[in-house]
Amino acid sequence: MKPDPNSHISDQQLLNSFYSSRDNHWLGILLQRYTLLLLGVCMKYLKNEEEAKDCVQQVFLKAITELHKYKVEYFKSWLYMVAKNHCLMKLRDKQARTPAEIKDEMAITPENDPGLALHLEKDRQLEMMEECLQELNKDQKQCVTLFYLEKRSYNEIADQTGFTLMQVKSYIQNGKRNLKILMDRKLNQS
Amino acid sequence: MNNDLLNILGNSNKDIDNQKLMDYLSGKLSDQEKHEVEMWMVDNDFENEALEGLQQMSGSSNKKLEGYVDQLNKELTHYIKEKKNRREKRRIDTNFWVYVTIAFILIIVVLAYVVITKLQHHQ
Repeated sequence: MKPDPNSHISDQQLLNSFYSSRDNHWLGILLQRYTLLLLGVCMKYLKNEEEAKDCVQQVFLKAITELHKYKVEYFKSWLYMVAKNHCLMKLRDKQARTPAEIKDEMAITPENDPGLALHLEKDRQLEMMEECLQELNKDQKQCVTLFYLEKRSYNEIADQTGFTLMQVKSYIQNGKRNLKILMDRKLNQS
Repeated sequence: MNNDLLNILGNSNKDIDNQKLMDYLSGKLSDQEKHEVEMWMVDNDFENEALEGLQQMSGSSNKKLEGYVDQLNKELTHYIKEKKNRREKRRIDTNFWVYVTIAFILIIVVLAYVVITKLQHHQ
């Protein structure tokens, strides 16, 4: 891929330059950083290359219009929400159904969950994590262990376990989510 | 290993660049590098969904994807330039008519002055 000549400028700096000058040139540089990701997201929902490309252009226009109307704090999360909502709207128009729209609160703020209660000693945290890991179902436990503790890639895990790549991803994501739920429960009990 | 167990629920906030994503798609990365990209994807829905979509594109050839990205970026740059040029042209057009109106008023004032002065001389 062509290297970004403006990579030394952060997203926030580009956004601030736009807000102070109202010059779309800054938005152009910012949006181009996300073209590949937008193309992927649009393709995932629309499942058609030409429609996905059109959708990316529409998301660009929508983003430019909206950014002139109000200030955005977390650009990447906001852009993801705009793209997803636009794809869902297109699917709704196609299928005449109403999928749930992503609300602002769900997508705008970045996750900054520290992961574990800081008041617990590290040893106790480890103990609790090990207990939670044992409580996961066999497949999730196996995939989480191979991924996080043995640092294997999805392909390696799929080869070793016989699961498909989609299954591996799903077990890891669900396993992580369940670990968090179990840890939160244990922390509330302690 | 102890830190790895504790870090499962941590979130990775640093970003991965597009080149690394493309290398992941084309299978150029080592298993360890693949694992790093996948670790980061678990915590980043945008990239996670994008990669799923990119993998569905026929062949997922990097050249084709780069072509699409270049085309979209060029069209965006062109759109922004055109919009700016249209705005500039509207501003120049508006300024032009303002100057024409001012000039016209000045000519009328001068003509009026000349006519009034001549009338006064005749009287």
